[in-house]
Amino acid sequence: MKFKRSSNVLFLDPQDIKIRTLDKGERVDIILSPSLYWIKKIKLPVKSVREVKKLLPSVFEDSLPEGKYSYTAYKLDDDFIVFAYEDKKILDQLTKNGLSLSDVSSVHFAQSEFSSLESAFSINETQSIYVKDSLVVVVPSAWLEETQKIVTKDIQLSKHTIKLQQFSHIVDNSSLYKIGAVLVVLAIILLVEVFVASSKRDAIETAKDELFSKYKLQSTMIQNKSTLSKYTKIHKKQTKLREVISYFLNMKLKEGQKVSLIDYKNGVLNVVFTGVKQGTERRIISQFKSKKINFQHSFNGETMRMEVKL
Amino acid sequence: MNRVNPLHIGLLLAVVIAFLFFQLSSVKTELEEAKVSFETSEKLAVDLSSLKSAYADKRKSKKALEKILANRTIKAANLTIKRNKKSITISSKSLDAKTLNTLMGKVLNTSFNIVSLKVKRLSDTKASLAMEIKW
Repeated sequence: MKFKRSSNVLFLDPQDIKIRTLDKGERVDIILSPSLYWIKKIKLPVKSVREVKKLLPSVFEDSLPEGKYSYTAYKLDDDFIVFAYEDKKILDQLTKNGLSLSDVSSVHFAQSEFSSLESAFSINETQSIYVKDSLVVVVPSAWLEETQKIVTKDIQLSKHTIKLQQFSHIVDNSSLYKIGAVLVVLAIILLVEVFVASSKRDAIETAKDELFSKYKLQSTMIQNKSTLSKYTKIHKKQTKLREVISYFLNMKLKEGQKVSLIDYKNGVLNVVFTGVKQGTERRIISQFKSKKINFQHSFNGETMRMEVKL
Repeated sequence: MNRVNPLHIGLLLAVVIAFLFFQLSSVKTELEEAKVSFETSEKLAVDLSSLKSAYADKRKSKKALEKILANRTIKAANLTIKRNKKSITISSKSLDAKTLNTLMGKVLNTSFNIVSLKVKRLSDTKASLAMEIKW
């Protein structure tokens, strides 16, 4: 449901500042004084207003003081009435009158609203407007013999309005659209990246679940790591057992020296050599030391016992 | 002039982009974690599977051992074999060197979990043997 908001008309003139206090929901229609815009009445070899608007910067070139201008136009019989105005200047003027852009219902030019004036009307203490060659112009009131105070209360507003650009003095519309488009494209790229990364993550999670069922793993990694640790210990011990037995069996022994016992139990390997005379054990020990295996040895007569903890 | 302030749209886009950056960074972190977790799990699964196959596959170990014991030279040695649920004990009070070498060569070259082993020299050609293999 749309609520119609009440609206009234304000003639905005730089030399006639009236601080306006609006009720809640109340908005004003603005009529711009000719002091706030530049105007020309021209004939151009084009048909549509849209085509004219494209030409306006060059139409006003060299005739405007330095500033950031917006342009508009409308057709009047065979001519075009073209305008140049500074959004910031008008917005500043609104602020001086205690208004913000959100308080404004529509913005019109004095040209479009007072083009049918038959006499001069004063717009402030020193200036008046009147129509000359179809254009509403400002002149000092002193030049005129007779003027009336302008009345906007019951005026019937035309359809010729403009939309004020708040940031036109900083960046023009096309740049704003370009920045907006870049941001939107960036947002889309990021969204796609989030989607792709999420899909990859989900695919990996699924593959992980399949891995668990393929290898019949236990439900938690702690359980699996514990089982792996148990079997790794067994594997290391068994590898070492085979390695050490291989060293013993491939040892170069002196004549009369023999391996008489190999005994492995509870992770300890005992090997007994017989025929080892005192002083000849060095050869056996040095061979073992060269393999970097930790061992203990003891003697009993010509019997040498070597103990290796696996 | 009931128009949307471009600054508000810009701010909204900036918030959306910031949110998406945060979301992307969080999803990428999760993706990296998932990759690392998958690689760890895969390595663990392969290692565990091969180790289990070597030391915990009772059927496979039994089959390999029966094949060794079925060897003609070993079979002829009349080894004492005691089988129970969790292990097998192979023993002989007197075994010739050739049979011992054949048996030990095959057992040590297969991934059995040998929990005890005792080889005692009796003479130049004979030895006693006691060995327990756990499944």
